[in-house]
Amino acid sequence: MTEVKKLVEKEVLMNGTQAVAHAAMYADVDVVAAYPIRPYTEVMDTISKLIADGELDAEFIVAEGEHGQFETVKHASLAGARTLVGSSGVGWLYGMEAIVVTATDRAPVVAIIGNRALDDPGAYGVEHNDALMVRDVGWLLVWVDTAQEAFDTTLIAYRVAEDQRVLLPLGISMDGGFLTHSEQIVRLPPKELVKNFLPPYNRGKYLVHPDNPITVAPQVNEDWVMEIRRQHEEAMERARGVIVEAYEEFKKVFGRYPGSTNELQMPENPFVEPYMIDDAEVVLIGMGTVSKPMKVAIKNMRRQGYKVGMLRIRWFRPFPTQDVIKYLANSRVVCVVDRDYSMGSPNRGGVIYHEIRSSLYDLDQRPRVINFIGGLGGREITIQDVEKIIKIGYEHRDTPITKPVYWVGVRGDPW
Amino acid sequence: MGVKDEVKYVEIVYRGIFQKRLAKYIAEGIVYTAREMGRPALSFGRYGDSPERNGVPAKYYVGIGNGVNEEDLIGYSTRVEPDLVDAIIVLDDTLLKGVESWAWQGVQPINLKLKSNGTMLVTSAKRINELLKMIPKKDFNWTLGVINTEPSFSGLWAFKDDLTMEKVWGGLAKLRPDIIDLDHLIKYVSKKQDANKRISAVKEAYSSVDYRTVMKGEGIDFVYNPPRLLTWQEMLEGTVIPAVPRGKRNELFKRGTTKFERPTVDFDTCIKCKLCWVYCPDECFDETPDGYYDIAYDYCVGCGICADVCPVKDCIVMVDESMFTDYRRPYEMWKENKAKYKEWLKNVRQARKERVYVPGLGR
Amino acid sequence: MVEKEIEEKVYKSIIKTIKDTPLEEFYTSGHRTCQGCESALVMRFLAKAAGQRTIVIGATGCMYVANTTYYSTSWIVPWVHTQLGGSGAAALGTAAALRALMRKGKIKQEPINVIAFCGDLGCADMGLSGVSNAMTYDYNLLIVLYDNESSANTDIQETSMTPYGAQTSFSRPGKQRRIMKKRWKKSVVPMIIAGHRNIRYAATMTPAYPLDSINKIRKALAIGGPTFIHSLDPCPKGWDYDPRFSHELGVLAAETGLWPLYEYIDGEIVYNEPTKSIVEGRMKRKPVKEYLEKQGRFSHFTEEDIEHVQRMVDEMYDEWEIPGVMPIKSLNVKISDK
Repeated sequence: MTEVKKLVEKEVLMNGTQAVAHAAMYADVDVVAAYPIRPYTEVMDTISKLIADGELDAEFIVAEGEHGQFETVKHASLAGARTLVGSSGVGWLYGMEAIVVTATDRAPVVAIIGNRALDDPGAYGVEHNDALMVRDVGWLLVWVDTAQEAFDTTLIAYRVAEDQRVLLPLGISMDGGFLTHSEQIVRLPPKELVKNFLPPYNRGKYLVHPDNPITVAPQVNEDWVMEIRRQHEEAMERARGVIVEAYEEFKKVFGRYPGSTNELQMPENPFVEPYMIDDAEVVLIGMGTVSKPMKVAIKNMRRQGYKVGMLRIRWFRPFPTQDVIKYLANSRVVCVVDRDYSMGSPNRGGVIYHEIRSSLYDLDQRPRVINFIGGLGGREITIQDVEKIIKIGYEHRDTPITKPVYWVGVRGDPW
Repeated sequence: MGVKDEVKYVEIVYRGIFQKRLAKYIAEGIVYTAREMGRPALSFGRYGDSPERNGVPAKYYVGIGNGVNEEDLIGYSTRVEPDLVDAIIVLDDTLLKGVESWAWQGVQPINLKLKSNGTMLVTSAKRINELLKMIPKKDFNWTLGVINTEPSFSGLWAFKDDLTMEKVWGGLAKLRPDIIDLDHLIKYVSKKQDANKRISAVKEAYSSVDYRTVMKGEGIDFVYNPPRLLTWQEMLEGTVIPAVPRGKRNELFKRGTTKFERPTVDFDTCIKCKLCWVYCPDECFDETPDGYYDIAYDYCVGCGICADVCPVKDCIVMVDESMFTDYRRPYEMWKENKAKYKEWLKNVRQARKERVYVPGLGR
Repeated sequence: MVEKEIEEKVYKSIIKTIKDTPLEEFYTSGHRTCQGCESALVMRFLAKAAGQRTIVIGATGCMYVANTTYYSTSWIVPWVHTQLGGSGAAALGTAAALRALMRKGKIKQEPINVIAFCGDLGCADMGLSGVSNAMTYDYNLLIVLYDNESSANTDIQETSMTPYGAQTSFSRPGKQRRIMKKRWKKSVVPMIIAGHRNIRYAATMTPAYPLDSINKIRKALAIGGPTFIHSLDPCPKGWDYDPRFSHELGVLAAETGLWPLYEYIDGEIVYNEPTKSIVEGRMKRKPVKEYLEKQGRFSHFTEEDIEHVQRMVDEMYDEWEIPGVMPIKSLNVKISDK
């Protein structure tokens, strides 16, 4: 314990967005582009104050809209600057054209996405559909569930995204409200340690500078596009190894795993967080802060004799298929809680549900998978809701699924 | 090669924009005539040529079902371009020198896709033997036909209804009745406005088209090495490519085949004013040590601006591209032997003519 | 009042004659533009005027699609594509990166030109808010609007820069309606200079006047800060004329007064080339008819349409407070008093 204390310089109460802003300051970002939209905006509020106070030396661009905001960081990143950007909900979608090419042009921009329902109707509560809009276009995507994890993952993000084997933009998602606007104690490491962990950003032969004349993103015909996509996909695959390296190195430098508050809480795996899963017959799956009521509910139900556990998906892209298989192969029922939707999709289920079902498909003995769509537009998923989910899952340990998708607590359907 | 005889293809090679409508209308007429003959047919442009640029070589195709139904015809023809074609229609004879539409593909021979025993039909004021001085040889016999007319050019907004398309149809019907025959062609054309003059043009071309069999090995040598495109492992990532080194030009895309005329220079009258150099949108002029301006013909697209801005009468004169067999630079020729150059200049400038282009309905 | 420091910078940047124009190209042969493309000439001039220590950013449009066919390029200086509406933001991002990296000692301290070009859509339409935003910052960046009066890359559609009545794929005359494009062309430079206080240089140009064009680019880069140039580029494809007359059309645009050539330098308007003579009363404007009748896109015009355009142009010079520039009249100043 004494050694851990040395690795923490101070403990500060901050919300998820402030934690990201502080991590970006520790990472010494060069260019920040801002445009306001709830609930991510406080990242930028915080950064601008850090710059004003001389804590951070960076250019702060207030864009004319999210399209310009993301174009700004894309080009800054291509010119060799470490960048921070972010958005939420429809703001993220307004920037979508720029966001897509940021990946194709391989600019390792780090974006913070305060997950928010897509307007209309205007609502600022959490839904994951905003960030998931880029699930197919080559962005690295990670979901965090505490302010500490937000801080740590931001440092990891720069290391992974900027690695020359990867060079991909990275989106850090956090639940609007539940994490963007709730303060928790964050352990900040001494700044010198960050230098040991995070090397300077170096684009090498892909740098846009008069000393390195290159043409970036010229017009392409059918002769070349397949190869460009194939390269991109390969970089995504290489990111897996780089993520593992980054978590190992983080542990070495900071004396703890990312997201943990001391050395005693060591997650086993960078990509997923397993919880009481070893003997679990029913496993809950979710992303983001839903893990917190889940853990309480699991402990409650365990006391009543339910063999239940949880697997939180931390990295959504690259998707941890092998880890999902490893942790779920011996379970009997998997209950996927989606804070998102995919209208008209198979079984009318959510996005994570399909990813999990697809991952398990090749198993000879597949667990049953039930989908729970809930917590949309910022609605709570309560401990009681989770307990109910566990019970529904438990009923189907030995009997086939009668209803593939439930809407948690929606008025008008039985719940 | 994939498609055998299930589909017959006609390739129409033309100058981008200037002949865009002409090419499309010719294709349309072949499709409708084939339908008159009871055959399924369709047409499609080579998508990679779009958006078209003035003068840049472009291609249009007609596919005609030869014993297959309409659905299968579409199946065979859902392509960027067919591998082989039965007939090639060339709407400007300077295209015979080769076609380069994109970087990396190099200059392709005009008859690259011609099937054994295939047919090529050219609109030209030149005779067959003259044209053969520009056409690469094939290792089989084929037929060359000439519609005796100047190439028909117009602007983006106008179609120059000068009966060129009727002549081309008539010529094709004569040489390839298996693709469209005269009776059905006339049936189709008779539905058009001013049908009588159109039918006469068809018949006139049908009876007057000049043609003969070109024997295996007849024609010019033409080296074409199809490109080996890089694999994804070889390419730079992030859509990045190297810039052109200082002092060089884009080696991978010399677009000289865009021109149908080239500027010729009388260095003896040049006053070294540098205007040709400054106004060239294609950076084709190179200053020589003694202050003249040499021309990189392999990059020149023949726009004619240099001739227009040159203050000296007849110093720069645009000459029909078919007068030249190579891209040799004029300055070195002149330096080598000034008297000979003068003679040569006089000779090629006989091919000086009014621009064939009709700009819209203006001017 | 033009400050002395600016005056000096302007003076130093000027090239005196065409003969003094540097030979070296930084945008070179082997692009896929039309025969007689004046926008390609603008690209050539801006690269030549800026020189080797330059980063060029190009928004989607003709000069993007035609200039590079993948794994080959015409650019010698570094060139990066930006999305259609992205030129202002991309220029900002690049300039901000250079400033931050130089200040923090991560790259060598030196002047590097940042130039973003954009066409009608990328500047005057979709990109306008981004360009405007860039003009409010103090970074050194130049935005060039190459205006061929249509969405030329998608085969000539109407934009807000298309002149009154011109035929485009979105405004083809028909049996019922002859004039489909009734809006008057947007004036971008006045919008920029009137609304962005910290911009110290903006200009109009057309490549038909090469020295004027090259010098305007050099002045913009020398004066620094956010600067803006609007170039009128005759487009043989969309305007429908013989490519060899590209130069002539540019000259006619200026001589008819349709395209006034001027610079805004630190609060003042300076007229150039024929526009100077026109405004000073030493040259009579040519009738717009001479310009219109040479282009196929106006071939459906009647005398009435030509007269309408002529009246609109006359008003620019006879009634505007700042002739040819600002469509504003002051109640306190009578035109006749000037």
